[in-house]
Amino acid sequence: MHSERSSILHRVLGDGTDELETKRLCRACVEIIGVTGAGIMLMSGDVPRGSLCTTNEISQAIEELQYTLGEGPCVDAYNLDTPIVESDLANPSTPRWVAFTPPAVEIGVRGIFGFPLQIGAVRLGALNLYCDQPGPLTDEQHAQAVVMAGVAAQAVLILQAGAPPGALAAELDASADFQLVVHQASGMVAAQLNVSVAHALIRLRAHAFGNSRTLTEVARAVVEKELRLDATNGEKDPLP
Amino acid sequence: MTKEALLAKTLVELADTLVADFDVVDLLSLLADRCVEVLDVAAAGLMLSAPDGSLRVIASSSEAMRLLELFEIQSEEGPCLDCFRTGEPVLYQDLSAPAGRWPRFAAEAIRAGFNSVDALPMRLRGSVIGALNLFHLERGGMPGADIHAAQALADVATIAILQHRASLEARALNEQLNHALNSRVIIEQAKGVLAERLDLDMGEAFALLRAHGRNHNLRLADVAQGVVEGTLPVSALDAG
Repeated sequence: MHSERSSILHRVLGDGTDELETKRLCRACVEIIGVTGAGIMLMSGDVPRGSLCTTNEISQAIEELQYTLGEGPCVDAYNLDTPIVESDLANPSTPRWVAFTPPAVEIGVRGIFGFPLQIGAVRLGALNLYCDQPGPLTDEQHAQAVVMAGVAAQAVLILQAGAPPGALAAELDASADFQLVVHQASGMVAAQLNVSVAHALIRLRAHAFGNSRTLTEVARAVVEKELRLDATNGEKDPLP
Repeated sequence: MTKEALLAKTLVELADTLVADFDVVDLLSLLADRCVEVLDVAAAGLMLSAPDGSLRVIASSSEAMRLLELFEIQSEEGPCLDCFRTGEPVLYQDLSAPAGRWPRFAAEAIRAGFNSVDALPMRLRGSVIGALNLFHLERGGMPGADIHAAQALADVATIAILQHRASLEARALNEQLNHALNSRVIIEQAKGVLAERLDLDMGEAFALLRAHGRNHNLRLADVAQGVVEGTLPVSALDAG
């Protein structure tokens, strides 16, 4: 297990090509585990922090949905500290993720799985895997996913180990999508409505959910000054 | 409790590194004490290598043992040092033999009442992190079965220590990563606040944050936090 892990790490981090390491990491997950797509989400507290890599548009949408809605397999895998398995999102074994499920099924997600990114007691986020056909992971796929989530966690820390104090490693900064526009929009909405940035983020999320848009789209509209949130919950905002 | 049961219990105790108050000195003190209780050993002691590569006495089952180990390090000769340097066990060493390997150390050990000694490496694959010293009142060392048991205890303790080190390192790196991400988030939020309040674009907002930080010798993240939390009024920002 240990040597398998380090040989994968070596392949992912050390072959000297120009391609960004994190992209390779996500693709290795798809190839090794044998799923349709994969993505790695960094988290902190119980909040998605950003997407490290995704292998296709659907994987990206899976992460974006969780980022917008604050629920889904990665969020659960991270918070509950355990692998999350849903073999058929269209006929779920456990009814959960009421907001996440309909749009995910609509874009073609059937099997969806979340594995915590973990080294010992340290958790950094979650690996998400999806299949476009329903069906469980085999025992071997499950075991490989656990190994790959460990490899991903180690890779993130190895990349960060080279960063100067207080800074984000350049490789992470370049390849990960930390949804910076969302935080800019939070600051703007906080100033517009005279509320805290945390409250402003809740308003942005509520607006996205109420209008079937992604959080990033809404944030971009705010920053471009195409959208101004109303002080009185005017635009179909459901209660947070 | 039978000897075998106590040995099994000790193995479990040594392996349990996930306890909240895990402490290397406690772990190795337990190992030294149990060697004396479970095995046919008069005294046991452990040395670990410090970051600079030198050996330090970490745990001893008795004060006489501790002094002897300190003497071994000072005089730069003895079974523990040989064992650590080679990574191999040093077994069945009669201290009273004429023209022995360690004349000064042997004389001191005999004065303390010990007539033979074994030393076992604390080693995992390539890395030797220390050595376990086992002293006997009689000549001739100890039975082979006890040597295997002692090596098993040392191996488990070694794995526990290495895991603990890796997890401390992972935790520190993860904290750095979170800190760096938090700084990034709060800077983006502050840009949003300034963009809204002063009608700037994001680039101008960032330049203002940075100029104020330089002029007042403040970290960018601290300026941003003041802006976001309202403790630093936007009107007080100083573009220099």
